[in-house]
Amino acid sequence: MWRAGEVAAVHHLVKRGWTIIERNWRCSVGEVDIIAHTSGPDPVLVFCEVKCRTGVGFGDPLEAITEQKLARLRRLALTWLGDRAEWVPRYRLDAIGVLLPRNGRPQITHLEGVGG
Amino acid sequence: MTPARAFSVALVGVEGTIVEVEAAIGGGLPRMVIVGLADAALAEARERCRAAVHSQGLGWPAQLVTVNLSPATLPKAGSHFDLAIVAAVSAASERFDREVLERLVLFGELGLDGRVRPVRGLLPALLAAVTAGFTTAVVPASQLREAALVEGLTLWGVSDLLDLASVLVGDPPKPVQLPPPEEPSAQAHPDKDLGDVVGQLEAKWALEVAAAGRHHLYLHGPPGVGKTLLAERLTGVLPDLDQSEALEVSAIHSLVGLPLDAGLIRRPPYSDPHHTASMASVVGGGARIAMPGSISRAHRGVLFLDEAPEFSPRVMEALRVPLESGRVVLGRAVAQAVYPASFQLVLASNPCPCGNAATRGAECRCAPMAVRRYSERISGPILDRVDIHHHLRPMTRSYLKAAMASAEPSALVAARVESARQRQRRRLAVHGWRTNGEVPGPALRRLLPLPRGSELLDEAVSRGRLSARGVDKVIRLAWTIADLAGADRPERDHLHTALAMRRGEQLTEVTGGRA
Repeated sequence: MWRAGEVAAVHHLVKRGWTIIERNWRCSVGEVDIIAHTSGPDPVLVFCEVKCRTGVGFGDPLEAITEQKLARLRRLALTWLGDRAEWVPRYRLDAIGVLLPRNGRPQITHLEGVGG
Repeated sequence: MTPARAFSVALVGVEGTIVEVEAAIGGGLPRMVIVGLADAALAEARERCRAAVHSQGLGWPAQLVTVNLSPATLPKAGSHFDLAIVAAVSAASERFDREVLERLVLFGELGLDGRVRPVRGLLPALLAAVTAGFTTAVVPASQLREAALVEGLTLWGVSDLLDLASVLVGDPPKPVQLPPPEEPSAQAHPDKDLGDVVGQLEAKWALEVAAAGRHHLYLHGPPGVGKTLLAERLTGVLPDLDQSEALEVSAIHSLVGLPLDAGLIRRPPYSDPHHTASMASVVGGGARIAMPGSISRAHRGVLFLDEAPEFSPRVMEALRVPLESGRVVLGRAVAQAVYPASFQLVLASNPCPCGNAATRGAECRCAPMAVRRYSERISGPILDRVDIHHHLRPMTRSYLKAAMASAEPSALVAARVESARQRQRRRLAVHGWRTNGEVPGPALRRLLPLPRGSELLDEAVSRGRLSARGVDKVIRLAWTIADLAGADRPERDHLHTALAMRRGEQLTEVTGGRA
């Protein structure tokens, strides 16, 4: 199910003209769902956390992203940047909520710059 | 989405300030932030509002919701902001025309199921809203009667969030019918009647004078002579409160969370804290914004301290300033609350720990020092502020028999008190006072004629029997006695009686052979 959610999120980003760099990048700290470059003349490196649900009975998908998870995403981003030699001038943390109804189109909520 | 705003009122003491509740949506993960010096009850609106909206099937934005309470530096307390918060948040998410909110003040606490619960301090808050120029208010349906006491407001009573929603979309489901106003205080006088008290004619007379002029009263005597019985019956002979007094009293009752379903409080309130009462409960207190205490609940009414020597000395001494100024200023780090506290003080005490000192025929078992210490527990400065000191004696059997038949009911006494009050109003209204008890000392000597024979007072002062404040008290008492007697100016007799009442049984020492 979460696979389907991530596929939907990637579709959404590609449709916006973003370049996907990594999917499900893992290290000892954890996993980053999507790493991508934004479109436009001045691209920003974005680390995305994707949350997927089939209904809002337990709340909106984005509500499941806690302060703790954000902190881990922040650590992951730094680890990823540390592994690379090149200088990245700007990066950002985004959250993507995917609502996957059993029948119907997925609804995507994309929040930019949630890292504070 | 642009921020939206709704209005409510923050209370500091009985003073209300209009608060603008702004809500902005977006800019982060779904959660709710309330800024603007909210206290614990208000900060928990976060959880209440969201759950209430969900339970009624209305949507809550799945984004960061920032609620700002402005003015930001004013501390805000209480749960009554819930409705304004929900209204501002739903306006920010474009659920209805936000113009509606510009003319509304909203009050109400939310339950998790979306019900709207009653709030404290609705009356003073609405008064502040009217002063600020608002003409429409949304209030909990259960408090419509209390809200209707404020004139010049169109009211929407809401019992749950769906009601609120329909008011906001301009489609109120049902015309809100005000319940018919009840007859204010159908029972004009409380159950306790002076007719139940046998004998003690002098004490009843002292009570009548105290009621007529709103003088403070100190009753002392052995146990079982009727001190408490009498004190409890004082409010029964006091006249009804006038409109402005009733509003002041009702505002305080609303603030401490007492229901005002029967309309404005027209009878003088009565408060009798137990002698173990703490400073905060008597004077008023609390951590952030102080709440009113017994002395404010007894505003325009009677504060009865039974077994006065048993009260903590700190509590007793704290009464000094309110006794003079008629209000209490409670400063805390975040805000200073001012509560009215114009109460009529009635003290009752035994003469000694065993209660029998100075009682003919009874044996006091206390050591002399114990008797003295006991009487000293009520300090001089407090006693000096009390106008009438009355010593009650136990009644002999023959006297009891004679008095059994002829106990005057409260209604008769109340009628005399009322006519004495009318005389006072006629004389004092031009200066803005209602009773002799509240006329300041200088005015007493300059604006009004002095009682005849006032050289008597000079002598009492020069002998150290009477303080300067005591002189004013005696003159006030003399006026009240004259008012009860229907005289236009206190005569020598009235002054003598006043001095006797003031000094208790020590009269003969003061006046010597003169009287």
